[in-house]
Amino acid sequence: MILRAEAVHKRFDDRPVLSGVSITLEPGHVVLLSGANGSGKTTLARIISTLLPPDEGQVTMDDVPVSERRTQVRRAIGFASHAPLLYLALTPVENLEFFARLSGVRDGRRRARALLERFGLGYAADRPIAHFSRGMLQRVVLCRSLLNDPEVLIFDEPYAGLDDAGVAAVNDVLTEGKARGRATLLIAHDKERGEGVITRTVRLANGRAQEAA
Amino acid sequence: MIFLVVMRKDLKLFVRDAKFLATLGLFSASLVLILSVAFGPIFAQPAREAAATVWAALFFAGVLGLTRSLELEGESGAGDALRLSGADPFSLYIGKTLANFALLAAVFLLLLPLTAVFFDVGTLRALPGVLGVAALALIGYSAWGTLFAALARGLQARELLLSVLLFPSLVPLWIGAVKLTHAYWGGAPVDEVKDWVKVMAVMDVLGLALAAWLYEAVQEAAE
Repeated sequence: MILRAEAVHKRFDDRPVLSGVSITLEPGHVVLLSGANGSGKTTLARIISTLLPPDEGQVTMDDVPVSERRTQVRRAIGFASHAPLLYLALTPVENLEFFARLSGVRDGRRRARALLERFGLGYAADRPIAHFSRGMLQRVVLCRSLLNDPEVLIFDEPYAGLDDAGVAAVNDVLTEGKARGRATLLIAHDKERGEGVITRTVRLANGRAQEAA
Repeated sequence: MIFLVVMRKDLKLFVRDAKFLATLGLFSASLVLILSVAFGPIFAQPAREAAATVWAALFFAGVLGLTRSLELEGESGAGDALRLSGADPFSLYIGKTLANFALLAAVFLLLLPLTAVFFDVGTLRALPGVLGVAALALIGYSAWGTLFAALARGLQARELLLSVLLFPSLVPLWIGAVKLTHAYWGGAPVDEVKDWVKVMAVMDVLGLALAAWLYEAVQEAAE
């Protein structure tokens, strides 16, 4: 599955954030998207994942505009951002089971527990997440993004708040994804943490994307 | 059954928010108490005053409930995760509407005996009729309210917008609810006001139909 943003423009309050950005996510590749704070990385991730419409340009999946097959595209994407996108009064299992059922995942509870074990959170699976540390919350976010075994991963700062074991778990997911032909967009400030799994680097500056060496 | 999953999740979140439930319960009960003191101790038209009081209290309690329901999806960006799940938007809407209906029905069941005691109105024989009126009114309130709450999501003045949208849109529903409750509590012959049942039913169907048509666009535009 190939996800492509073509000549994407986005403005907020007349301030251009993206000015003709094109980027392609291909199976088996992990693309690192870097850039300064406010350069539009998160905006681009939200546009690619269909959460935000571009002002101009388009996003396609296998050459079909995502707006024409939004449900299919959304179910193919695993999205993790620095906002948790979880219900803080629920436990990790309740959150994951809820989203699993919405996404059509069979046996959501078992899938939820398996993912929590994988990310070392099995012991806290039944505690409300309201009082979780940043790192624990981030692990639940990563579990949610993997619930439906997506073909595309969009990870916005996945290493935030994680300890070494958490970073290793994220890199395992990325490595496994590469091997299985997942297309991945990785947004990270500390790119050293993803060294070894990143296959391409694209830098966003002044609203434009440049392929970096 | 996506809508049942969503409804259960929302109800779980309501139940776990003790501060919200206490505020909702105390606010609506206080309103009934204050208005009963204002109209009493000798009521000129107890059925009319009681019907107005219970529905005024429910309207304001409903705004609180709908605002909370709106916040549930906004607090930590969970609304984005709902959209990313690819679930049918109308099923999400129905689930949230049912949860809001259950919440408002619980408030009504709290206010009903309080109103009956404070205003000395109502009989057990009138109860099925009053419950039927409440069902019609609360279905419409939840249907329109959930749609408007989604519309207001993402805006800075969302609580204000919600009230501004809700009140004028639901005027026929409130008039019908007050008139029918008044009649069932013995204030007027039911036959004289029974046409309001049709008005309320039309409002309910209209709210649900409008949501079926618009909810997906509203959900996407709210970002």
